[in-house]
Amino acid sequence: MSSARRIMWAYLTTGIAVFGLMVLVGLAMRMEQAHWVTYDPGSFYALMTLHGSGMIVALALCGMGGLWFIMDRERAMDQGLAWSAYALIVLGVVAVILSVYPGRFGAGWTFLFPLPFVGTTWPNWATGTFLIGVALVMLGWTVYCMQLLGCVLSKYGGLRGAMGWDLVFHHDAFVASGRPEPPPAAFAALITAVDGLFASAGGMLVGVALIIHWIDPTVAIDPLWAKNLTYLFGHTFANLTIYMAIAFVYVALPRYAQREWHTSQVLAIAWWGTLLFVATAYFHHLYMDFVQPRGVQYIGEVASYLAAFPPAVVTIFGGALLVYRSRLRWTMSSMFMYAGLVGWLIGGVGALIDATVPINVSLHNTLWVPAHFHTYLLEGVTLFVFGWIFADLEARTGLVSSLATRWITGLGIFGGGAVLLLGWYVAGAASVPRRYAEQPAPGPAIAAWASAGAILLILGLVVCLIEAVRLARARTIETAA
Amino acid sequence: MNGASPVLIGFLVAAAAILVVMAAVARTTIEPPETQAAVTSTGYRLRKGWLWALGAAAVVALAISLPSFPYGKPATLAGKHFTVIASQYSFELPQAVPAGTSVVFDVTSKDVNHGFGIYDPRGRLIAQVQAMPDYVNHLPLRFGVKGHYLVRCLEYCGIAHAGMQGAFEVR
Repeated sequence: MSSARRIMWAYLTTGIAVFGLMVLVGLAMRMEQAHWVTYDPGSFYALMTLHGSGMIVALALCGMGGLWFIMDRERAMDQGLAWSAYALIVLGVVAVILSVYPGRFGAGWTFLFPLPFVGTTWPNWATGTFLIGVALVMLGWTVYCMQLLGCVLSKYGGLRGAMGWDLVFHHDAFVASGRPEPPPAAFAALITAVDGLFASAGGMLVGVALIIHWIDPTVAIDPLWAKNLTYLFGHTFANLTIYMAIAFVYVALPRYAQREWHTSQVLAIAWWGTLLFVATAYFHHLYMDFVQPRGVQYIGEVASYLAAFPPAVVTIFGGALLVYRSRLRWTMSSMFMYAGLVGWLIGGVGALIDATVPINVSLHNTLWVPAHFHTYLLEGVTLFVFGWIFADLEARTGLVSSLATRWITGLGIFGGGAVLLLGWYVAGAASVPRRYAEQPAPGPAIAAWASAGAILLILGLVVCLIEAVRLARARTIETAA
Repeated sequence: MNGASPVLIGFLVAAAAILVVMAAVARTTIEPPETQAAVTSTGYRLRKGWLWALGAAAVVALAISLPSFPYGKPATLAGKHFTVIASQYSFELPQAVPAGTSVVFDVTSKDVNHGFGIYDPRGRLIAQVQAMPDYVNHLPLRFGVKGHYLVRCLEYCGIAHAGMQGAFEVR
C-alpha cells in the first residue's frame, strides 16, 4: 500500500469506526425514546451530544481522506501536513469523548450560548474539555482546507484556473490553448477548501470567545452573535461532508458505467453557485429569531432554494444521465453511489420544505429536522463513503459481492433506513419536538417502529462490514501470494 | 393527523416520484446500451426543461411564502402585548389571551436560549419564536379558536428541557 493510500485509509477507518460507535449511540437514544430501555435525561443528552458531534466528524474524516487521496493524484501533497490534520482531529475526538464520559457534558454539539455555562449538571472541566476538543477539530480542519486549497490553486493556475473562469467565459480560447480543465472532483475540493475556511473562521471566532468565557466568566458574549457563528460553522461543516463525498461519485461511478464525467461550463457554474449558497444558507437556522435583521431571513430562504439547484440540475441529474442506458456494472460500490444520489435528492426535498419560512413555523425544532438531515447524511453521504471504500476494494481485488449479499445489504440499509427516517418525518409533521429525552405522544409509539428500522439498518451495516473485511482480506491474500 | 400532514403527504409524493424515476433510470442498464454522446444530447435538452421547471417552482414558492413571513411589521405589532419570560425550566405566561383580535407576545429569557412553541387545543404547533437572553422577540398572532393552548420549549435548554411547559387560555 502506498503511503498516500495509507493516509486515506487512516482517515477512512477512523471515520468508519467512529461512525459505527455513533450508530449504536443513536440506537440507544431512539430506544430510550421508545421506552424500550430506561436511563436518566442527563445520560440521554450526553449521548445526544456525543452522537451529533461524533457523526459529523466521522463523515468529515471519511470525506477528507478520500478527497485528499483523489487530489494527491492530481498534485502530490505534503503527507506530514495530512497526518498533522488527522492527529489534531483525533485528539479533538478524544477530548470530546472525555467530556461526555466521564464528564457527562450534554449541551449538544451546536449548543447555544450561554447554555454550557448556566444551570448545567456537568462539571466545569467537562465544558472546557469539550470546547478545546471542538477547537482541535476545527484546527485540524483548517490545516486540511489550507492544504487542499494550495493543491488546487497550484495545479490549475490560481483561483481563476481552479474555478474554470476561462473555460466558462473564454471557452474557445481555453480549448485551443490545450490547458486541461480541472476535473469535477477538483471543484469539490476547491469549494470544500474555500467554504471550509470561511466556516472555520467563524467557528474559531466563537470558539475562542467561549474558551475565554470559560476561563473568565466576566467576559461577555452576545447570544445572537454566538448563535449566528455557531450555525455558520455547524451548518457549513455538515454540508461540506456531502460536497467532499460527491467527489467519490465523480471519480468512481464513471468507471462502473464505462463512461466519462467531464467538466463542462454548466458544471463549473453550478459549483460557483454551491460556493456561494452553502455559505449563506445557514440563516435558515435562525428563522425563529425574529430579532435577526429581516434581510437575512429573506437571504436564508432564497439561498436555501438556490443551493438545491446545482445538485439537482447538474450533479444528481448528471449521475442519472451517466447511468442511463450504460453498461453499468452493479456492484456494492455502484449500488451505494447511485442510491446515495437518490437519498441526497429526497433529503433535499425535506430540507427545502423546512427552509420555507411559513412552513418552518410548524416544523422548526421538531423531528422533521433530524428527518431530513439524516436522510442525506445516512442515505447520501454515508453511501458515497461506502461506495468509495468498495470501489477501492473491488478495484484492487477484482472481486465483486454476490447478488444475495447486495440484496441483504440493500434491504437492511435502504429498507431499515426508510423505516427509521419515516418515523422522524411522521413525528415531525405531528409536531413532536426534537431533542426530547421524553417525547409527548405520538413520539414514543413512532420511536418504537423507528427503533425496529434502526435495528434492521444495523444488520445491513454488519453484513456490509463483513463483506468489506472479506474483500480486504482477499486483497491481503493476493498481495501475499 | 394534524395540520402539518399536507406537508408530509407532499413530501412522500415527491419522494415516491424520485424513487420511481431513479429506479426506472437504473433499470435501463439491462437494456441495450446507447453511446454517451447519444444520451447526453437528449439529456441536455431534458436538463434545460428540468432547470426551468425547478426555477418556476422556486419562484412560485417564493411568491407564496415571502408575503407570509411571520416577522412582525410595525403595523401588526399594534395589538395587545403580553410578556413571556422563559427560564430553566418554566415560562412566565399570561393566564388568558383574547380570541379574535391581534395580540403580540414579547418573548425573552432570564438565562439560556429557549423556544416558545404554542400548541393549539388539537395539539398542533401553530406558532413559535425563540426566547433569548438580552433580546426580546415580538410574535404577533391572532387566535381564531378558543380553548386551552399548551406551550412547549422548542430549543434545547438543559437537562429538564423535555418537561418545560406552560399553558394559557384563549377566551
